[in-house]
Amino acid sequence: MGKVVFDVQYQTTLAFLISYYFYCTGLSAGSFMISTLSYGFGFKKFKPASKMGVVAAVLLLLLAPQFLLMQVGWPIKSVWNHFVYFNPMSAMSYGAFLLMLYPLNSIIYGIFMFKGNMKMTKIFGLIGIPLALAVHGYTGWILALGVARDYWNTGLMPIVFLFSAMVSGISMMILLIIIRDRFFTKEKVINHDLIDSLAKILAWLLVVDLFLVFCDYSVLLYSKLEAQEVAHFMLFGKMSFWFVIVENLIGKVIPMIIVFIPGMRRSYFWLILAALMNMAGILAMRIVTVYGGQALPLM
Amino acid sequence: MSNPHKKENLGGKKLPRWGMLIDLDRCVGCHTCEIACKIENDVPLGIWRSWVKEIEKGKYPNVVRSFRPTLCNHCENPICVKVCPVNAAWQREDGIVMLDPHLCVGCRYCMSACPYEVRYIHPQKGMIDKCDLCSTRVDAGLEPSCVEACPGSARVFGDLNDSKSEIAKLVATKPVSTLKPEIGTGPRVYYIGLDTATMEIKREAKLVWEK
Repeated sequence: MGKVVFDVQYQTTLAFLISYYFYCTGLSAGSFMISTLSYGFGFKKFKPASKMGVVAAVLLLLLAPQFLLMQVGWPIKSVWNHFVYFNPMSAMSYGAFLLMLYPLNSIIYGIFMFKGNMKMTKIFGLIGIPLALAVHGYTGWILALGVARDYWNTGLMPIVFLFSAMVSGISMMILLIIIRDRFFTKEKVINHDLIDSLAKILAWLLVVDLFLVFCDYSVLLYSKLEAQEVAHFMLFGKMSFWFVIVENLIGKVIPMIIVFIPGMRRSYFWLILAALMNMAGILAMRIVTVYGGQALPLM
Repeated sequence: MSNPHKKENLGGKKLPRWGMLIDLDRCVGCHTCEIACKIENDVPLGIWRSWVKEIEKGKYPNVVRSFRPTLCNHCENPICVKVCPVNAAWQREDGIVMLDPHLCVGCRYCMSACPYEVRYIHPQKGMIDKCDLCSTRVDAGLEPSCVEACPGSARVFGDLNDSKSEIAKLVATKPVSTLKPEIGTGPRVYYIGLDTATMEIKREAKLVWEK
């Protein structure tokens, strides 16, 4: 209705570094889940993936907080203050503790696994599951509790984050296992059963992930004006290329079709392509959610 | 693990609750409050603690310019204080929402959580900056500099708890409104004659990767 003559531009707060941080914690949580499938829950089929999973989880979770430290204005002060001035109302306050506890637990779990101590591996693996859920779920809560933004402020956000974490983690594990088996083993034979089982899990997780996106957007489009506007911005506006094409079509729908068709799933070319597309799509999802969710000026 | 800004026990003494009322029938859109704020608080280029959004609406000859002076609302229930991971955002007993520069680490979470977008990152300090109702002036018994500078006397500052103060009388008797009351933050900056066209939500934005 009105034409703006003068207004102050809102500074973009959380952009790419935070997206990369969320992406790394997601990959870490996803690969940790795979590694606990055999030692924690007794699915022996996934045993060859366990050691790789825990190593990937630890390395990615050591990398992830570096993006956070680059984002904040005062990196060293931030580490100290997060532990000394704890605010029980803030989701981000708990994150500092989770980001310390989860890699520590994963390292202990990994050491017992490599030493072959089954009992202790199981105990620390089972402790690690809620920690992995928390360390990635809390990133969803951080956004969900930013109540100013309707795109973030939904109870679905932590669950969407958990599912996208598992999806991207499994894709990364499929790629890593293929590379390891093909190039770094004596037999140079890829463990076909393991890859096929992981791909089947990936297929169903992608279905759930797409369903959650559908739930989220159907509610946004019927909700109040700010929510409708942000949904339009994502679906038809400037973000639509990244949201519709990159995140959902390339990142989720096409990989889902590939892994659901048995002939394509068993071909390594298509499976590797699906895993790569899915990992790229989830990275786009992090950027769309973190940056796109706050790109529209509020008033 | 502590909050250094715990509320003190005041022994039943009644404290003021500072608030502001902006009468837009008196606002002429001269942006003097903006400049006074910049001078008083030494706000660097590119950021504003307080500004006037200005819009044009209507079709000739029925046209008008509407203004919305914007500043921190010093909410009764501030989201920024809840979400701050290091207790750097805090609220004084008299309601002023403050920022502790000794604690703020510049994580910007409060900026993205604030529904009024009044928080800014200070380019030199690397931490958050915002309106504090000129707390040092208020403590010395003066009015905030934007109130004192306003040539049309559109801004009224005072104690909302004191029923004899001008602002309490105006809030009680005039049709006042606040920005986004539905969020439940309880803003303590009131407006008379606020134009909804100044609060329109935009459908498009300039993205960071666009030149």
